[in-house]
Amino acid sequence: MRLDALKETLLDALSNQTAFTIPLLGGIPVAESVVVSWIILAVWMVLALVLTRNLRVRDPGKVQIALESAVSFLNGFVKTSIGRHWRPFAPWLGTVALYIAASNLIGIFGLVPPTKDISVTAALALMSMLLIYGAQFRYRGLVGGLRQFGAPMALLAPINLMEVAVRPLALCMRLFGNILGAFIIMEMIKFVAPAVVPAVFSIYFDLFDGLIQTVVFVFLTTLFTGEGIQEAD
Amino acid sequence: MSIAIMAAAVAVFTGIGAGIGIGFATGKASEAIARQPEAAGKINSALLLGCALAEGTAIFGFITALLIIFMG
Repeated sequence: MRLDALKETLLDALSNQTAFTIPLLGGIPVAESVVVSWIILAVWMVLALVLTRNLRVRDPGKVQIALESAVSFLNGFVKTSIGRHWRPFAPWLGTVALYIAASNLIGIFGLVPPTKDISVTAALALMSMLLIYGAQFRYRGLVGGLRQFGAPMALLAPINLMEVAVRPLALCMRLFGNILGAFIIMEMIKFVAPAVVPAVFSIYFDLFDGLIQTVVFVFLTTLFTGEGIQEAD
Repeated sequence: MSIAIMAAAVAVFTGIGAGIGIGFATGKASEAIARQPEAAGKINSALLLGCALAEGTAIFGFITALLIIFMG
């Protein structure tokens, strides 16, 4: 039956393939998402090396101007959201944005998006959680950081403590669910109409949704971090 | 099996709430931008935050439905 075939493709889409196994310690499985992540990292590293060659203070080239405006856009955004202590956060947030954007968009080139694997998004969300609460304790001190859980009033402390778990869970599930949902819908469309139609929908589901989710992830992380450390002196 | 499918369908109904919520937020944001075009940047970032949080409910419903269909 056709419906069974569809379910088969969906199950196939849900499972995370193992790319290869390292023959060490009884075999370490390396997931496909890890391999695709390596490809993304390699591409960004090579691009970073190639694009930053021949940087000049006088008479900058077109590439340099584009890079500089991108970096100053990122810096300005982080500065307005986090405030006085923005400097250490901007490079990390920019890196995460580049990685998530590349992994969401890599579906266009026929590779499996790593963000479709819940382990990848869980790791990203955990790093965001460490950043948010690490910054809170780093800039407020131990007592001030603990007191921040009672802000704006002590009554809200249980909710603030619950947010420690809810924020990373929501970040993880949002990215994972969006990318997986887009992937499944694209598989369904390809199943129903294999020609022409998927290309049109791909513009929305692969390009637009992927970029929006990148912005949302970085934006929320920045906002939560800023919330934790703002007005800290 | 059919009960599981029905349960998944009910779980996906969370999308209604998210749709209404995002619709409201976007409508109000459009009104606000029409009234104060110079504040468009701030309004946009507030809108994005609200939409992301509202959309979270739909995503949780979607994940629940997937879990019911494929794991349960």
